[in-house]
Amino acid sequence: MSRTIRFQFTKGPEVRFLSHLDLVRAMDRAARRAGLPMAFSAGFSPRPLMSYSYPLAVGVLSEAEYADFQLAEDLTPQEFMERYNNHLPPGFRVLRAERLAEGAPALMSEINAALWQLELPGAAVDEVKRRWQELKGMDSFEVERETKRGTRRVNLLPLIFGLTKIEERDGAVEVHCLAGLGPEGNLRVEEMGLLLGFSPAEAVITRIGQFKKEGSRYQPPLGNRGFTWTDS
Amino acid sequence: MDRRLLPLLPLVSKPARYTNNEVNAQHKEWTPDRVTMALAFPDIYDVGMGHLGFKILYSIINGRQDALAERVYAPWVDMQALMEERGIPLTALESGRDLADFDLVGFTLQHELSYTNILKMLDLGRIPRRAAQRGEEDPLVVAGGPCAFNVEPLADFFDFVVLGEGEEVIHEILDLVQEAKRQGVPRQETLRQLARLRGVYVPSFYRPIYADGKFQGMEPLYPDLSAHIEKRVAEDLGALPFPQEFVVPYTEVVHDRVMVEILRGCTRGCRFCQAGMIYRPVRERDPQLLQEQVAKLVSSTGYEEISLSSLSSGDYTQIRSLVKDLIAAYQSCGISVSLPSLRLDSFAVELAEEIQKARKTGLTFAPEAGTQRLRDVINKNVSDQDLQDVVQAAFQAGWYRLKLYFMIGLPTETAEDLDGIAQLARQVLAWGREYRTARKRPEVTVSVASFVPKPHTPFQWFGQNPLEVLAEKQEYLMERLRHPGIQFSLHQVEHSFLEAAFSRGDRRLGAVLERAVDLGCQFDSWGDQLRFESWLQAFREAGLDPAEYAQRFIDPQDPLPWDHLSPGVDKKFLIREWELAQQGLPTPDCRWDRCSLCGVCFNLAVKNRLTEANGGE
Repeated sequence: MSRTIRFQFTKGPEVRFLSHLDLVRAMDRAARRAGLPMAFSAGFSPRPLMSYSYPLAVGVLSEAEYADFQLAEDLTPQEFMERYNNHLPPGFRVLRAERLAEGAPALMSEINAALWQLELPGAAVDEVKRRWQELKGMDSFEVERETKRGTRRVNLLPLIFGLTKIEERDGAVEVHCLAGLGPEGNLRVEEMGLLLGFSPAEAVITRIGQFKKEGSRYQPPLGNRGFTWTDS
Repeated sequence: MDRRLLPLLPLVSKPARYTNNEVNAQHKEWTPDRVTMALAFPDIYDVGMGHLGFKILYSIINGRQDALAERVYAPWVDMQALMEERGIPLTALESGRDLADFDLVGFTLQHELSYTNILKMLDLGRIPRRAAQRGEEDPLVVAGGPCAFNVEPLADFFDFVVLGEGEEVIHEILDLVQEAKRQGVPRQETLRQLARLRGVYVPSFYRPIYADGKFQGMEPLYPDLSAHIEKRVAEDLGALPFPQEFVVPYTEVVHDRVMVEILRGCTRGCRFCQAGMIYRPVRERDPQLLQEQVAKLVSSTGYEEISLSSLSSGDYTQIRSLVKDLIAAYQSCGISVSLPSLRLDSFAVELAEEIQKARKTGLTFAPEAGTQRLRDVINKNVSDQDLQDVVQAAFQAGWYRLKLYFMIGLPTETAEDLDGIAQLARQVLAWGREYRTARKRPEVTVSVASFVPKPHTPFQWFGQNPLEVLAEKQEYLMERLRHPGIQFSLHQVEHSFLEAAFSRGDRRLGAVLERAVDLGCQFDSWGDQLRFESWLQAFREAGLDPAEYAQRFIDPQDPLPWDHLSPGVDKKFLIREWELAQQGLPTPDCRWDRCSLCGVCFNLAVKNRLTEANGGE
């Protein structure tokens, strides 16, 4: 077993408007306050060895963020979780932690899909369902995407894998959306809005899962509770 | 935070500025027996969160059972527009309460270009701008900080003003306001009582006298008022409280690190420098105490950097051992140590080397003037030889990027002094080529600011160069510094001009300020926000000439609008220094040489306190 701990944590409403950089800084400082025995990079400005999964956009919540922390001393996942949770700011909470096996693949390579929960105020279930049927009937849904190298056209349809839930809840519609994440194919939050017809500034968006998708199999980077989903 | 802002957050830049809930933020309950104070910083969160003075006050006030303090910052223009559109007033971060709900609203006056933000914040907070318009239910609006030493342009907007160090007087103020609140003492009577506290100035109790448009003097309205308000100063920094926790922001802010104040005051006596006059005498904190403060802050914040702050950190008697000890204690946990204000000497290079070890990014030196002659005039006691030694040492030690700070428009300046800046920059580059040990090519950045006359300095009488002259001088330098390896950076002359006008301003400028705010001026120190034309219009409409304030040469015998606000430095000392300046004669630092008779120790019953002397006892 290695001394690297992989853990799942939340980004709650209290810290909803933090950027990824803010989040990393807050997690780092909490680890220092908690006195976690972090391992540091070599060199003259040592940095703690932490790696995070794909960044969340500002304003987006999460129940399923993942990070790998390399420790300098042995600490049980249980101890790690308790000590860290005592010092994390409100909104951040470690939900589970495990020791990584020696030579385990990097966090990023274990993730290529996300499950998003969308709370759409003022929407109707039938409307969303109809929209989804329409999308499925289309050959492509192209948008302009701004990248560092300029704009290019992207077909968004292959990036959305399915809607696993469309339900009414407290006057809003709750949608669960499976979509691509990372360099193999990434659906941005605002593009999800374009596809499904909502404004991200008005919706409450929560990342509720991150997975390695192989065919119809979705496996989270931590724990064994994967699932199978095929859009019918 | 104010829940009404929630729907606006997705619509503004950097929303985390407005959301509160940071680690170590204090959320005390609003009970009727508590005096409430808003610490209002007249700029955005990102700037205000770096201010050490407010961290100290926040912790002192919240440390009291019978009081609470919360933070208020100016919302950035995007958020302001939304708040105004939806009728949401300015509120405090912690409780989301309206600014107008507080018993006290305290502003810090760090620089003149933040003045419009103060009025804007009062407007947004729905507090009447002028003290005279406020009623029994309105907060008492108070100010402190360096610009309090000429608060006259803002005099009409503050109920009272604190001169000098706040750590002790804040308790006296809170006690008094607490009692007044409990007994329902009328506002005017409370102000009368406040005016009796040492270091407290109630501007409405003083009337300026003008004749032929010229300031003649200040008249106290009650016989028991002192003609001079003397600043508050602590004898011993060790006896002052220092926070054990800082609020840890989420977004990026300036000075986002552990800060401890290693010494206060500076007696080097640079003749243009206001800080060097108003914070006297020099008082050092005990290194053992500093170590303890650092340890507490590191564990309560989780910061990855420790900064030793002061006006001139290299002057701290035991700086070398302090830096060594801190590095030994914290380097292995990835915590770095920084010294933000190092003076130019070879010792500084050694220290910087200690701190930066391998990553030798950049070193900054401030020769201020291009020739030895002018450096003697301004009393910047750095010789050509010192410069040569330090620059060569820096390149030898592996630095390759040096930044040099200069000022233009100083008294007695000639073309020769400007040429001196250009020559020095080229010389530094040449030394870089000769002495560098780094693989990278040497780079020199020359940063040029315009001289701004500041109250209570030996140069307070000297007028700023006209805008065109400053612009010509910048142009002149730019031509002479066009050289590969040399970069040139400038301050906008309009900024310096307004700064000078307000720095030497009198009470009549209040009307200008109000008009400027009505014309949309705010965030004037932000390059892209300054509306210079509107400023000129505001001056015109008030029938006042900004050049008269900024550029006029004042006769040292004339009364000054800030004469009654005293940092303890005698005016005759300033006049003597002004005369010595014109003869090009330096005055040594009283820490290591004879007393310069500035008057502070005598007037305020204090003295320089260096730690080495303590250590030997």
